[in-house]
Amino acid sequence: MTNFPWSARRVVSSTEDTAVAALLAGTELPADAAAGLRPVADVLAALRAGPASDELAGLAAAQAEFRRGVGAPEQPKRSPRRRAAGLASRLGAKAAAAAAAAAISLGGVAAAAYAGALPGSLQQFAHRTIGAPAGHRAGYDTPVGPRVPGPAAQGLCTSYRHAAAHGNARQKAVAFRNLVKAAGGRGKVAAWCAAVSRHAHSPSGPHSHRTGPPPGHASPHRTAPPHGHPSPHRTGPPPGHASPHANGPAAKHATEHPTGS
Amino acid sequence: MPILGAVIGEDFAEVLAAAQQGGEAAFSRLWTDANPALLRYLRVIAPQAADDIAADTWVQVVRGLPRFRGEEAAWRAWLFTIARRRAVDASRRRSRRREEPLQDIPVALLPTTADAADQAMEHLGTRSAIMLLAELPPQQAEVILLRVVAGLDTDAVARLLGRSPAAVRVAAHRGLRRLAQILAETGVTL
Repeated sequence: MTNFPWSARRVVSSTEDTAVAALLAGTELPADAAAGLRPVADVLAALRAGPASDELAGLAAAQAEFRRGVGAPEQPKRSPRRRAAGLASRLGAKAAAAAAAAAISLGGVAAAAYAGALPGSLQQFAHRTIGAPAGHRAGYDTPVGPRVPGPAAQGLCTSYRHAAAHGNARQKAVAFRNLVKAAGGRGKVAAWCAAVSRHAHSPSGPHSHRTGPPPGHASPHRTAPPHGHPSPHRTGPPPGHASPHANGPAAKHATEHPTGS
Repeated sequence: MPILGAVIGEDFAEVLAAAQQGGEAAFSRLWTDANPALLRYLRVIAPQAADDIAADTWVQVVRGLPRFRGEEAAWRAWLFTIARRRAVDASRRRSRRREEPLQDIPVALLPTTADAADQAMEHLGTRSAIMLLAELPPQQAEVILLRVVAGLDTDAVARLLGRSPAAVRVAAHRGLRRLAQILAETGVTL
Protein backbone atom coordinates (compact mmCIF):
# COMPACT_ATOMS: atom_id res chain seq x y z
CA MET A 1 0.00 0.00 0.00
CA THR A 2 1.48 3.28 -1.05
CA ASN A 3 2.45 5.54 1.73
CA PHE A 4 0.16 8.35 0.99
CA PRO A 5 1.00 11.46 2.97
CA TRP A 6 -1.92 13.44 1.72
CA SER A 7 -4.62 11.43 3.31
CA ALA A 8 -3.08 11.90 6.73
CA ARG A 9 -3.02 15.67 6.53
CA ARG A 10 -5.79 17.60 8.09
CA VAL A 11 -4.41 21.06 7.73
CA VAL A 12 -4.07 22.48 4.29
CA SER A 13 -0.55 23.54 3.65
CA SER A 14 0.25 26.35 1.33
CA THR A 15 2.11 23.95 -0.91
CA GLU A 16 -1.04 21.97 -1.26
CA ASP A 17 -3.05 25.08 -1.86
CA THR A 18 -0.81 26.09 -4.71
CA ALA A 19 -0.97 22.62 -6.14
CA VAL A 20 -4.76 22.58 -5.94
CA ALA A 21 -4.93 25.93 -7.64
CA ALA A 22 -2.70 24.65 -10.41
CA LEU A 23 -4.79 21.53 -10.82
CA LEU A 24 -8.01 23.49 -11.08
CA ALA A 25 -6.52 26.00 -13.46
CA GLY A 26 -4.94 23.34 -15.59
CA THR A 27 -1.50 24.83 -15.22
CA GLU A 28 1.63 22.91 -14.51
CA LEU A 29 2.06 21.52 -11.05
CA PRO A 30 4.78 23.11 -8.96
CA ALA A 31 7.89 20.98 -8.65
CA ASP A 32 7.37 20.40 -4.96
CA ALA A 33 3.84 19.14 -5.35
CA ALA A 34 3.14 15.75 -3.86
CA ALA A 35 3.78 12.92 -6.28
CA GLY A 36 0.29 11.58 -5.77
CA LEU A 37 -1.07 14.65 -7.50
CA ARG A 38 0.40 14.02 -10.89
CA PRO A 39 -2.13 11.36 -11.84
CA VAL A 40 -4.83 13.77 -10.72
CA ALA A 41 -3.48 16.32 -13.16
CA ASP A 42 -3.77 13.68 -15.86
CA VAL A 43 -7.36 12.95 -14.96
CA LEU A 44 -8.28 16.60 -15.09
CA ALA A 45 -6.49 16.98 -18.40
CA ALA A 46 -8.59 14.11 -19.74
CA LEU A 47 -11.70 15.89 -18.53
CA ARG A 48 -10.62 18.93 -20.47
CA ALA A 49 -9.74 17.04 -23.61
CA GLY A 50 -11.22 18.08 -26.91
CA PRO A 51 -14.68 16.98 -27.99
CA ALA A 52 -15.38 13.43 -29.06
CA SER A 53 -17.68 12.81 -31.99
CA ASP A 54 -20.50 11.46 -29.85
CA GLU A 55 -20.45 14.69 -27.89
CA LEU A 56 -21.12 16.62 -31.07
CA ALA A 57 -23.71 14.32 -32.51
CA GLY A 58 -26.66 16.36 -31.30
CA LEU A 59 -25.80 19.42 -33.38
CA ALA A 60 -28.35 18.89 -36.13
CA ALA A 61 -31.18 18.54 -33.67
CA ALA A 62 -30.04 21.63 -31.81
CA GLN A 63 -29.87 23.57 -35.07
CA ALA A 64 -33.39 22.49 -35.90
CA GLU A 65 -34.54 23.76 -32.52
CA PHE A 66 -32.72 26.98 -33.16
CA ARG A 67 -34.34 27.46 -36.52
CA ARG A 68 -37.73 26.83 -35.06
CA GLY A 69 -37.19 29.22 -32.21
CA VAL A 70 -35.58 31.98 -34.14
CA GLY A 71 -37.50 31.61 -37.36
CA ALA A 72 -40.86 31.88 -35.66
CA PRO A 73 -42.56 35.00 -36.99
CA GLU A 74 -42.98 37.87 -34.58
CA GLN A 75 -46.63 38.43 -35.31
CA PRO A 76 -48.50 35.47 -33.91
CA LYS A 77 -46.69 35.98 -30.66
CA ARG A 78 -47.86 39.53 -30.29
CA SER A 79 -51.51 38.96 -29.75
CA PRO A 80 -51.15 36.35 -27.03
CA ARG A 81 -48.79 38.70 -25.29
CA ARG A 82 -51.28 41.52 -25.40
CA ARG A 83 -53.98 39.26 -24.15
CA ALA A 84 -51.66 38.12 -21.45
CA ALA A 85 -51.06 41.66 -20.41
CA GLY A 86 -54.78 42.18 -20.27
CA LEU A 87 -55.34 39.05 -18.29
CA ALA A 88 -52.57 39.88 -15.92
CA SER A 89 -53.97 43.28 -15.23
CA ARG A 90 -57.44 41.94 -14.71
CA LEU A 91 -56.47 39.13 -12.43
CA GLY A 92 -53.25 40.37 -11.03
CA ALA A 93 -50.01 38.84 -12.19
CA LYS A 94 -49.90 36.07 -9.62
CA ALA A 95 -53.38 34.87 -10.31
CA ALA A 96 -52.72 34.95 -14.01
CA ALA A 97 -49.62 32.88 -13.55
CA ALA A 98 -51.52 30.42 -11.41
CA ALA A 99 -54.26 30.16 -13.99
CA ALA A 100 -51.70 29.57 -16.68
CA ALA A 101 -49.97 26.97 -14.55
CA ALA A 102 -53.24 25.16 -13.97
CA ALA A 103 -53.97 25.23 -17.66
CA ILE A 104 -50.54 23.91 -18.45
CA SER A 105 -50.69 21.15 -15.89
CA LEU A 106 -53.91 20.06 -17.37
CA GLY A 107 -52.28 20.24 -20.74
CA GLY A 108 -49.76 17.74 -19.47
CA VAL A 109 -52.54 15.47 -18.43
CA ALA A 110 -54.19 15.94 -21.77
CA ALA A 111 -50.99 14.96 -23.51
CA ALA A 112 -50.73 11.84 -21.40
CA ALA A 113 -54.37 11.03 -22.01
CA TYR A 114 -53.90 11.37 -25.72
CA ALA A 115 -50.96 9.06 -25.56
CA GLY A 116 -53.09 6.51 -23.75
CA ALA A 117 -50.74 6.56 -20.85
CA LEU A 118 -53.12 7.35 -18.00
CA PRO A 119 -54.34 4.80 -15.51
CA GLY A 120 -57.58 3.11 -16.55
CA SER A 121 -60.24 5.11 -14.78
CA LEU A 122 -58.58 8.38 -15.59
CA GLN A 123 -58.23 7.38 -19.19
CA GLN A 124 -61.97 6.82 -19.37
CA PHE A 125 -62.57 10.22 -17.90
CA ALA A 126 -60.24 11.75 -20.42
CA HIS A 127 -61.95 9.83 -23.16
CA ARG A 128 -65.27 11.32 -22.26
CA THR A 129 -64.12 14.85 -21.69
CA ILE A 130 -61.44 15.47 -24.25
CA GLY A 131 -61.92 12.69 -26.71
CA ALA A 132 -58.68 10.98 -25.93
CA PRO A 133 -58.52 7.34 -26.94
CA ALA A 134 -60.59 5.13 -24.68
CA GLY A 135 -58.96 3.28 -22.02
CA HIS A 136 -57.04 0.20 -22.21
CA ARG A 137 -54.09 1.03 -20.23
CA ALA A 138 -51.12 0.93 -22.56
CA GLY A 139 -48.48 -1.31 -21.10
CA TYR A 140 -44.97 -0.44 -22.02
CA ASP A 141 -44.44 -3.80 -23.57
CA THR A 142 -47.36 -3.85 -25.92
CA PRO A 143 -46.91 -1.19 -28.51
CA VAL A 144 -50.21 0.55 -28.69
CA GLY A 145 -50.48 4.20 -29.31
CA PRO A 146 -50.87 6.29 -32.39
CA ARG A 147 -48.91 5.04 -35.29
CA VAL A 148 -46.70 7.55 -36.90
CA PRO A 149 -46.70 9.04 -39.51
CA GLY A 150 -50.17 10.20 -40.27
CA PRO A 151 -52.23 13.08 -38.95
CA ALA A 152 -51.49 11.79 -35.49
CA ALA A 153 -47.92 12.84 -36.13
CA GLN A 154 -48.70 16.48 -35.57
CA GLY A 155 -50.50 15.81 -32.37
CA LEU A 156 -47.73 13.60 -31.18
CA CYS A 157 -45.12 16.15 -32.02
CA THR A 158 -47.04 18.73 -30.10
CA SER A 159 -47.40 16.45 -27.13
CA TYR A 160 -43.78 15.51 -27.33
CA ARG A 161 -42.64 19.10 -27.35
CA HIS A 162 -44.91 19.85 -24.49
CA ALA A 163 -43.58 16.89 -22.58
CA ALA A 164 -40.05 17.86 -23.41
CA ALA A 165 -40.64 21.27 -21.92
CA HIS A 166 -41.57 19.56 -18.69
CA GLY A 167 -38.85 17.02 -18.58
CA ASN A 168 -38.69 13.61 -20.06
CA ALA A 169 -41.07 11.62 -17.92
CA ARG A 170 -43.74 11.53 -20.57
CA GLN A 171 -41.29 10.82 -23.28
CA LYS A 172 -41.34 7.26 -22.22
CA ALA A 173 -44.96 6.91 -23.11
CA VAL A 174 -45.57 4.26 -25.71
CA ALA A 175 -46.77 6.80 -28.23
CA PHE A 176 -43.49 8.61 -28.08
CA ARG A 177 -41.61 5.42 -28.72
CA ASN A 178 -43.26 5.26 -32.10
CA LEU A 179 -42.38 8.86 -32.69
CA VAL A 180 -38.78 8.28 -31.73
CA LYS A 181 -38.63 5.28 -33.99
CA ALA A 182 -40.15 7.16 -36.91
CA ALA A 183 -37.73 10.00 -36.47
CA GLY A 184 -34.85 7.59 -36.23
CA GLY A 185 -33.76 8.43 -32.72
CA ARG A 186 -34.61 10.68 -29.84
CA GLY A 187 -32.11 13.28 -30.92
CA LYS A 188 -33.81 13.50 -34.30
CA VAL A 189 -37.33 14.02 -33.11
CA ALA A 190 -37.10 17.79 -33.07
CA ALA A 191 -35.96 17.91 -36.67
CA TRP A 192 -38.50 15.31 -37.75
CA CYS A 193 -41.31 17.19 -36.08
CA ALA A 194 -40.16 20.43 -37.64
CA ALA A 195 -40.52 18.76 -41.02
CA VAL A 196 -43.93 17.42 -40.08
CA SER A 197 -45.24 20.80 -39.06
CA ARG A 198 -43.87 22.42 -42.19
CA HIS A 199 -45.92 20.02 -44.25
CA ALA A 200 -48.94 20.27 -42.11
CA HIS A 201 -50.08 23.77 -42.60
CA SER A 202 -53.18 22.86 -44.51
CA PRO A 203 -55.99 24.06 -42.29
CA SER A 204 -58.31 21.21 -41.60
CA GLY A 205 -60.02 22.96 -38.79
CA PRO A 206 -59.20 25.07 -35.77
CA HIS A 207 -57.16 22.32 -34.21
CA SER A 208 -54.59 22.35 -36.93
CA HIS A 209 -53.29 25.65 -35.65
CA ARG A 210 -52.11 23.83 -32.63
CA THR A 211 -49.33 22.21 -34.54
CA GLY A 212 -47.16 25.07 -33.46
CA PRO A 213 -45.57 24.90 -30.07
CA PRO A 214 -48.35 24.17 -27.63
CA PRO A 215 -49.42 26.96 -25.34
CA GLY A 216 -47.98 25.10 -22.45
CA HIS A 217 -44.62 25.11 -24.10
CA ALA A 218 -43.52 28.04 -22.06
CA SER A 219 -43.98 26.47 -18.75
CA PRO A 220 -44.16 28.88 -15.88
CA HIS A 221 -43.01 26.11 -13.70
CA ARG A 222 -39.80 26.42 -15.37
CA THR A 223 -37.38 27.07 -12.59
CA ALA A 224 -36.45 30.58 -11.73
CA PRO A 225 -33.76 31.84 -13.98
CA PRO A 226 -30.18 31.82 -12.90
CA HIS A 227 -27.71 34.61 -12.75
CA GLY A 228 -26.21 36.62 -15.49
CA HIS A 229 -29.10 36.07 -17.77
CA PRO A 230 -32.40 37.39 -18.87
CA SER A 231 -35.10 38.60 -16.56
CA PRO A 232 -37.52 36.02 -15.23
CA HIS A 233 -40.14 35.92 -17.85
CA ARG A 234 -37.73 35.76 -20.58
CA THR A 235 -36.45 32.31 -20.44
CA GLY A 236 -39.31 31.61 -22.67
CA PRO A 237 -42.53 33.19 -23.82
CA PRO A 238 -44.20 34.66 -20.78
CA PRO A 239 -46.55 32.54 -18.75
CA GLY A 240 -49.37 34.49 -20.26
CA HIS A 241 -48.53 32.88 -23.54
CA ALA A 242 -50.89 30.19 -22.45
CA SER A 243 -53.59 32.77 -22.12
CA PRO A 244 -56.12 31.39 -24.55
CA HIS A 245 -56.47 28.53 -22.16
CA ALA A 246 -56.06 30.49 -19.02
CA ASN A 247 -59.15 32.45 -19.81
CA GLY A 248 -61.62 29.77 -19.06
CA PRO A 249 -62.00 27.16 -16.41
CA ALA A 250 -59.67 24.23 -16.50
CA ALA A 251 -62.21 21.93 -18.03
CA LYS A 252 -62.63 24.24 -20.90
CA HIS A 253 -58.94 24.13 -21.46
CA ALA A 254 -59.08 20.41 -21.56
CA THR A 255 -61.59 20.37 -24.32
CA GLU A 256 -59.62 22.73 -26.43
CA HIS A 257 -56.31 21.11 -26.03
CA PRO A 258 -56.24 17.93 -28.04
CA THR A 259 -54.30 18.46 -31.16
CA GLY A 260 -53.95 17.18 -34.60
CA SER A 261 -56.82 14.78 -34.40
CA MET B 1 -4.35 18.83 -28.62
CA PRO B 2 -7.66 20.63 -28.69
CA ILE B 3 -8.81 21.83 -25.34
CA LEU B 4 -12.39 21.60 -24.28
CA GLY B 5 -14.20 24.87 -24.12
CA ALA B 6 -11.18 26.60 -25.64
CA VAL B 7 -13.45 29.39 -24.98
CA ILE B 8 -14.62 31.63 -27.68
CA GLY B 9 -12.85 34.45 -25.89
CA GLU B 10 -12.77 37.87 -27.40
CA ASP B 11 -15.10 36.83 -30.20
CA PHE B 12 -17.77 35.94 -27.74
CA ALA B 13 -19.80 39.13 -27.78
CA GLU B 14 -19.88 39.07 -31.56
CA VAL B 15 -20.82 35.42 -31.78
CA LEU B 16 -23.53 35.85 -29.20
CA ALA B 17 -25.01 38.85 -30.98
CA ALA B 18 -25.01 37.01 -34.28
CA ALA B 19 -26.75 34.04 -32.74
CA GLN B 20 -29.28 36.28 -31.08
CA GLN B 21 -30.11 37.76 -34.43
CA GLY B 22 -30.77 34.33 -35.85
CA GLY B 23 -27.37 33.42 -37.19
CA GLU B 24 -27.30 29.67 -37.23
CA ALA B 25 -23.55 29.39 -37.74
CA ALA B 26 -22.96 31.52 -34.66
CA PHE B 27 -25.37 29.42 -32.67
CA SER B 28 -23.62 26.28 -33.87
CA ARG B 29 -20.37 27.66 -32.61
CA LEU B 30 -21.84 28.37 -29.20
CA TRP B 31 -23.30 24.91 -29.12
CA THR B 32 -20.19 23.13 -30.26
CA ASP B 33 -18.14 24.97 -27.70
CA ALA B 34 -20.39 24.11 -24.80
CA ASN B 35 -22.18 20.85 -25.49
CA PRO B 36 -19.29 18.46 -24.80
CA ALA B 37 -18.72 20.16 -21.46
CA LEU B 38 -22.40 19.94 -20.64
CA LEU B 39 -22.46 16.27 -21.48
CA ARG B 40 -19.44 15.47 -19.36
CA TYR B 41 -20.93 17.25 -16.40
CA LEU B 42 -24.27 15.54 -16.87
CA ARG B 43 -22.73 12.12 -17.33
CA VAL B 44 -21.47 12.36 -13.81
CA ILE B 45 -24.41 13.99 -12.07
CA ALA B 46 -27.22 12.41 -14.09
CA PRO B 47 -25.78 9.44 -15.96
CA GLN B 48 -29.07 7.86 -16.89
CA ALA B 49 -30.45 10.89 -18.65
CA ALA B 50 -27.45 12.96 -19.69
CA ASP B 51 -28.29 13.17 -23.40
CA ASP B 52 -31.92 14.04 -22.83
CA ILE B 53 -31.12 16.65 -20.25
CA ALA B 54 -28.51 18.20 -22.51
CA ALA B 55 -30.99 18.39 -25.38
CA ASP B 56 -33.64 19.88 -23.11
CA THR B 57 -31.13 22.38 -21.83
CA TRP B 58 -30.51 23.64 -25.34
CA VAL B 59 -34.22 23.94 -26.00
CA GLN B 60 -34.46 26.21 -23.02
CA VAL B 61 -31.34 28.11 -24.03
CA VAL B 62 -32.70 28.72 -27.51
CA ARG B 63 -35.82 30.18 -26.03
CA GLY B 64 -34.00 32.46 -23.67
CA LEU B 65 -31.24 33.33 -26.10
CA PRO B 66 -32.63 36.55 -27.53
CA ARG B 67 -32.70 38.14 -24.12
CA PHE B 68 -29.51 36.79 -22.63
CA ARG B 69 -27.12 39.50 -21.56
CA GLY B 70 -23.67 38.79 -20.32
CA GLU B 71 -20.16 37.81 -21.06
CA GLU B 72 -18.89 34.39 -21.72
CA ALA B 73 -18.52 33.39 -18.09
CA ALA B 74 -22.09 34.42 -17.41
CA TRP B 75 -23.18 32.49 -20.48
CA ARG B 76 -21.55 29.31 -19.25
CA ALA B 77 -22.98 29.81 -15.80
CA TRP B 78 -26.41 30.19 -17.34
CA LEU B 79 -26.08 27.02 -19.38
CA PHE B 80 -24.92 24.93 -16.47
CA THR B 81 -27.53 26.36 -14.15
CA ILE B 82 -30.26 25.29 -16.54
CA ALA B 83 -28.68 21.88 -16.98
CA ARG B 84 -28.31 21.35 -13.28
CA ARG B 85 -31.88 22.28 -12.54
CA ARG B 86 -33.15 19.92 -15.17
CA ALA B 87 -30.92 17.19 -13.78
CA VAL B 88 -32.20 17.78 -10.27
CA ASP B 89 -35.80 17.68 -11.51
CA ALA B 90 -35.15 14.51 -13.45
CA SER B 91 -33.57 12.77 -10.51
CA ARG B 92 -36.47 13.69 -8.29
CA ARG B 93 -38.83 12.14 -10.75
CA ARG B 94 -36.70 9.06 -10.89
CA SER B 95 -35.93 8.84 -7.23
CA ARG B 96 -38.12 5.85 -6.65
CA ARG B 97 -36.36 3.77 -9.17
CA ARG B 98 -33.18 2.04 -8.21
CA GLU B 99 -30.18 3.14 -10.16
CA GLU B 100 -27.30 0.85 -10.76
CA PRO B 101 -24.62 2.14 -8.44
CA LEU B 102 -21.69 3.50 -10.31
CA GLN B 103 -19.32 1.67 -8.02
CA ASP B 104 -20.37 -1.52 -9.75
CA ILE B 105 -18.53 -0.52 -12.89
CA PRO B 106 -15.35 -2.50 -12.64
CA VAL B 107 -12.23 -0.49 -12.18
CA ALA B 108 -10.55 -3.05 -14.41
CA LEU B 109 -12.04 -1.21 -17.36
CA LEU B 110 -9.73 1.67 -16.74
CA PRO B 111 -6.44 1.67 -18.56
CA THR B 112 -3.66 0.61 -16.24
CA THR B 113 -0.58 1.41 -18.22
CA ALA B 114 0.57 4.42 -20.14
CA ASP B 115 0.65 2.36 -23.33
CA ALA B 116 -2.87 1.20 -22.92
CA ALA B 117 -3.88 4.76 -22.31
CA ASP B 118 -2.07 5.90 -25.42
CA GLN B 119 -3.90 3.43 -27.54
CA ALA B 120 -7.16 4.43 -26.13
CA MET B 121 -7.78 7.78 -27.57
CA GLU B 122 -8.26 10.90 -25.52
CA HIS B 123 -11.86 9.98 -25.72
CA LEU B 124 -11.46 6.86 -23.65
CA GLY B 125 -9.34 8.83 -21.27
CA THR B 126 -12.17 11.27 -20.95
CA ARG B 127 -14.68 8.54 -20.32
CA SER B 128 -12.40 6.99 -17.75
CA ALA B 129 -11.95 10.33 -16.09
CA ILE B 130 -15.71 10.71 -15.89
CA MET B 131 -16.02 7.31 -14.30
CA LEU B 132 -13.42 8.29 -11.76
CA LEU B 133 -15.20 11.50 -10.94
CA ALA B 134 -18.33 9.48 -10.39
CA GLU B 135 -16.54 7.69 -7.56
CA LEU B 136 -16.38 10.88 -5.58
CA PRO B 137 -19.03 12.15 -3.21
CA PRO B 138 -21.49 14.02 -5.43
CA GLN B 139 -20.77 17.51 -4.21
CA GLN B 140 -17.04 17.13 -4.62
CA ALA B 141 -17.50 15.74 -8.11
CA GLU B 142 -19.81 18.59 -9.04
CA VAL B 143 -17.50 21.26 -7.81
CA ILE B 144 -14.55 19.81 -9.69
CA LEU B 145 -16.56 19.46 -12.87
CA LEU B 146 -17.92 22.97 -12.67
CA ARG B 147 -14.47 24.37 -12.07
CA VAL B 148 -12.62 22.28 -14.57
CA VAL B 149 -15.08 21.34 -17.29
CA ALA B 150 -17.50 24.23 -17.13
CA GLY B 151 -14.65 26.61 -16.43
CA LEU B 152 -16.54 28.51 -13.78
CA ASP B 153 -14.69 30.33 -11.05
CA THR B 154 -15.25 29.66 -7.37
CA ASP B 155 -17.78 32.44 -6.92
CA ALA B 156 -19.81 31.35 -9.91
CA VAL B 157 -19.82 27.76 -8.69
CA ALA B 158 -20.86 28.94 -5.25
CA ARG B 159 -23.83 30.84 -6.69
CA LEU B 160 -24.82 27.94 -8.86
CA LEU B 161 -24.78 25.46 -5.99
CA GLY B 162 -26.14 27.81 -3.38
CA ARG B 163 -23.11 27.34 -1.19
CA SER B 164 -20.45 29.67 0.11
CA PRO B 165 -17.21 30.15 -1.81
CA ALA B 166 -15.38 28.71 1.18
CA ALA B 167 -17.47 25.57 1.03
CA VAL B 168 -16.77 25.30 -2.67
CA ARG B 169 -13.04 25.59 -2.10
CA VAL B 170 -13.14 22.93 0.59
CA ALA B 171 -15.15 20.60 -1.63
CA ALA B 172 -12.72 21.06 -4.50
CA HIS B 173 -9.80 20.40 -2.26
CA ARG B 174 -11.32 17.31 -0.73
CA GLY B 175 -12.39 16.03 -4.11
CA LEU B 176 -8.92 16.32 -5.50
CA ARG B 177 -7.44 14.57 -2.49
CA ARG B 178 -9.94 11.81 -2.84
CA LEU B 179 -9.12 11.45 -6.50
CA ALA B 180 -5.47 11.19 -5.65
CA GLN B 181 -6.29 8.52 -3.13
CA ILE B 182 -8.43 6.49 -5.52
CA LEU B 183 -5.77 6.66 -8.17
CA ALA B 184 -3.10 5.57 -5.75
CA GLU B 185 -5.18 2.70 -4.42
CA THR B 186 -6.21 1.32 -7.75
CA GLY B 187 -2.88 1.92 -9.44
CA VAL B 188 -4.56 3.63 -12.35
CA THR B 189 -2.66 5.89 -14.61
CA LEU B 190 -4.08 7.61 -17.63
